[in-house]
Amino acid sequence: MSSQDALVLDGLTKRYGEFTAVRDVSLRVPEGSIYGFLGPNGAGKTTTIRMVLDIVKPTSGTLSVLGAPTAMAVRERIGYLPEEKGLYKKMKAWAVIAYFARLKGVSGKEAKQRAHELLERYGLGAFADKKVETLSKGMGQKVQVLASIAHKPDLVILDEPFSGLDPSNQQVMEDVISDLNKAGSTIIFSTHVMSHAERICDRILLIAKAEMVFDGTIEQAKALIPRLVRIGGVEASRLRSLPGVGDVMPSEESPGVFEVVVADGHDPQEILRACMREGIELSSFESGEPTLHDVFLHLVGDDAKVAAYR
Amino acid sequence: MSNAIHIATREYAENARTKGFWINMLMFPIILLLSVKVPKLLEEKAKPIRQFALVDQSGQLGDIVRDAVERDYARLVMEKIGTYAQTYAKDKAAVSAETLEKTAMPSDFAGRVKEFMDYNEELMQQMMSPEAIEMQLSMIKPSLVEDAPEFEMPRRRYDEVDLSGLTGADLDLATAEPSEIVRALRPALVDDERLEGMEQPLFALIVIPPDAFEQILDPSIGNMANAPEPQDGIQFWSTNLTDMALSNLIERALDRELQKREYVANGLDPKQVSLIRSTTFQFSAFDPKKKEGEEAVSVADTMRKWAPVGFVYLLWVAIFTVVSFLLNNTVEEKSNRIIEVLLSSATPWEIMVGKLLGIAGVGLTMMTAWVLSLLGVLKFIAGPEVEWAGALFEVIQSSGLLPLFALYFVCGYLTYAGIFLAIGSLCNTVKEAQNFMGTATVILMVPLFTMVFVAQDPNGALATFLTWVPVYTPFVMMNRAAADPPMAELLGTGALMLVTIVFMLWLSSRIFRIGVLRTGQPPKIVELVKSLMTPLNNQ
Repeated sequence: MSSQDALVLDGLTKRYGEFTAVRDVSLRVPEGSIYGFLGPNGAGKTTTIRMVLDIVKPTSGTLSVLGAPTAMAVRERIGYLPEEKGLYKKMKAWAVIAYFARLKGVSGKEAKQRAHELLERYGLGAFADKKVETLSKGMGQKVQVLASIAHKPDLVILDEPFSGLDPSNQQVMEDVISDLNKAGSTIIFSTHVMSHAERICDRILLIAKAEMVFDGTIEQAKALIPRLVRIGGVEASRLRSLPGVGDVMPSEESPGVFEVVVADGHDPQEILRACMREGIELSSFESGEPTLHDVFLHLVGDDAKVAAYR
Repeated sequence: MSNAIHIATREYAENARTKGFWINMLMFPIILLLSVKVPKLLEEKAKPIRQFALVDQSGQLGDIVRDAVERDYARLVMEKIGTYAQTYAKDKAAVSAETLEKTAMPSDFAGRVKEFMDYNEELMQQMMSPEAIEMQLSMIKPSLVEDAPEFEMPRRRYDEVDLSGLTGADLDLATAEPSEIVRALRPALVDDERLEGMEQPLFALIVIPPDAFEQILDPSIGNMANAPEPQDGIQFWSTNLTDMALSNLIERALDRELQKREYVANGLDPKQVSLIRSTTFQFSAFDPKKKEGEEAVSVADTMRKWAPVGFVYLLWVAIFTVVSFLLNNTVEEKSNRIIEVLLSSATPWEIMVGKLLGIAGVGLTMMTAWVLSLLGVLKFIAGPEVEWAGALFEVIQSSGLLPLFALYFVCGYLTYAGIFLAIGSLCNTVKEAQNFMGTATVILMVPLFTMVFVAQDPNGALATFLTWVPVYTPFVMMNRAAADPPMAELLGTGALMLVTIVFMLWLSSRIFRIGVLRTGQPPKIVELVKSLMTPLNNQ
C-alpha cells in the first residue's frame, strides 16, 4: 500500500483563453502522507485542486487519482472541502453531513449514524439538530469539514481549511487532519499560512505564478536556504576570519549585529566554539532553525509580499 | 444515477419544508373558500344598514321610494326563506351532473321575476305580512330536519332617517331649495357631524323637487337632446360611489312609477303591461358537435368550455412558482459554493437531473393539493347558496381535464425548468437573476393575457398561432382542451414541443456546466455563446 501513490500529476496545465492558471505541474503524493499545497493567493492552488477533482478539465497533462484516470471514477473514496465555505442554511447540521455522505455512496442509516458520531466527537453533539443558519461561522465550517469526511475517504482534499477559524478551532482542524491520517487517509491541503504546513505536513508543493517552485519534504525545503546566525559585539573582519563563516552582512534591524551565513558543511555551534577559543567577547549570539516562512519568502520573494497585502 | 435520486430527494424534502411551499399550497384553497364565503358573510354581518334621508317635495313620489325599499327587503326575506328551506331540508336536492346536462342556460329569468313583482305590489305586500311569513314557514316545516333552528328574519339593508328633528330648524323641508337642504345635510353626509341618534354617517340623501314630473326625459315630446339640468331633477347625494344598489333601486322604482302613469294616461292597464313585458319567445342555444337529440347547450356545457381557463391560470402559477424555486436553489448553491462539493460528488448532468426531478415532485405535490382542495372546497361549499359549486365539481370530475392538466404541467415545467436552471447557474444572487430575467417576464405572461380570448375562439387564428410557439404550447393546449383541436395540430405541436424540451435541456446542461463555476457578473449573451462553442477543457 504505502509504496503506491494516491495522486500523480504529470505536466498538468490549465489555460483560460490567454491566461494560464497552472503551468506544467508534476508531482506524486504517496499514500498515507500529509501533503501541503503552499503558495500566495492566486498562485493556482485552487485550480490545481479543481483539476484533481475533475471539476475543471485540464488543458493538457495527465493525472491519476487513487489509480484512476479521473476523480469522478473514484469519487466515493475522495473527500473535498472547497476554499469558500457554505452549506444549505435551512438544513440541520446532522442532515447536511448525512446528505453529503449519501452522495458518496454511504447508506442512509449509516450516514445518519456517522453524522451524529462525528458531531459528538468534535464537540458539536448539542448542535446536531440545529439548522446550519443558527450556527456560528466556525461551527458551520467544522460541520462542513465533517461533511467532507463522513464517508471515510481514502484521499481528503482540503482547500484552505484553516482560513476563518480562530486559534482553538485551528487546533481542532489540525487534530481532524492528524486523526484522519492515523486512520490511513492521504491528505492534501492548501494554505498560505506556513506554520500549519510546517507542523503537520510530510511533504509540500510550493507554487507561485502558476508554476511549481518546489516539491519535497520540509527538511529539503529548509536546506534550500542558507543558515544564518546573528552575532553582536564583534568586528566584521574578525568574524570573516573564523572557520565556518561565509558571508557577513550588517543587520538592518539592530546596529552592531551581523548576520553571518553558515558555510556549507559547517554548523553554528562550530562558529560559537571558535569565538570562545579566540577569546572574542560576544554581546549576543542567536542561532535559529529557518522557518518554512523564510523558505517561502526566499523562494517566492516579492510575490508573497504583494499577496500578503491583498 | 443514484446520486440524481439523492439530489432529487433532498430538493424535494427541503423545498416541501419551506414556508413558501406551504403558503402556496394553502393559499389557493383558502382564497377559494374566502372568495365564496366572505362576500356572503360581509353582506349578512358586516355591511352596515345603509341609512338614507328622503325629502319629497312633490308629495307623490316619497312613498314610491319607500315601497321600493320595502319590496327590496321583501325579496331578501323570501330569498332567506328559500335558502333556509333548502339548507335544512330532509333530503337535499343535490345538483347532479345529469340535471346540469339537461338544464338549459337560463335567459334573463331573474330579471323578469323582479319586473313582475315591481308591477304587483299587492301580491308582494300580502306575502310580506307577518301572517303570510308565518304561514310560509309552517308550510315548509314538515320537509325540514328535526333540529332545524328557528328562522331568523334578515337584517334590513336600508333604513330611512327621520328628518323631523333636523336642527337649525328655520329650514322648512317642504319648501326649501334643494341646495339649502343639501347644505344642511352635507356635514352628515361627509361625516363631519352625526344626525341626532345616528351611529354612522348618513349614507345617502334623496331630494325630489316639487316639479319632478316636469323634469323628465321624454322621447314622445322629443326633449332627449335638450334634457333638463341635473340639479332641476331628482337628486341622489352620497359619498359612496361604488355601492350603487340603493340608487339603482330608487331610480328603477321611480321610472317604473312614471311609466305606469304614462300607461294609465294612454288607457293601458299597468298589470297587463307587466304581463305583456314578461312574454317571451322560447330561444335556445344548440351545439352541432353534440349528440343528435341532445344538442341543446346546457349549464354543464358552458362550464366545460370555461373550466380550462381556470386550469391555464393554475398551470401558469404552478409552473412559475416551482421554476422560481429551482432558480433560487441554484443561485443559493452557487453563492454558497455548495455546488463545488456537489460537483466533486456528482456529474453536472446528475445534479441537473436531480434538481429537475426533485422540483417536479414539489410541483406535482402542490398541484395535487390544489386540485384536491379545489374539489374539496367545491364539494364543501356546494349547496343551495352556491349551486354553481356543485355543478363545477361534477364538470371537473367528468371532463377529463385533470389528466391533461398533469400532462401539460410536466411539459411546461420541462420547457421552462431548463431555462431557469441555466439562468440560476449564471447568477450569484437572486437579484442578479431577476435583472437577467428582465423583460422576459412579459413574454412569459402572454398565456395569461390571451387565455380568455383563446377560450372564446379556441380553434381560431390566435389560438392556433400561439399553439405553434413551443414555449406557449402547454398553456394554449390546456386552454383549448375542451374544444377538440384538430389532431394534426395536436401531434405537430406536441412533437415540436418535445423537440424544444430536449433542445432546451441540452442547452441548459451546457450552460449549467459553465455557469456553476463562474464567478463575478453574469456573462453577456455574446460571451455566453462564445463559451458554449469552446470545448470544455478550455473553459
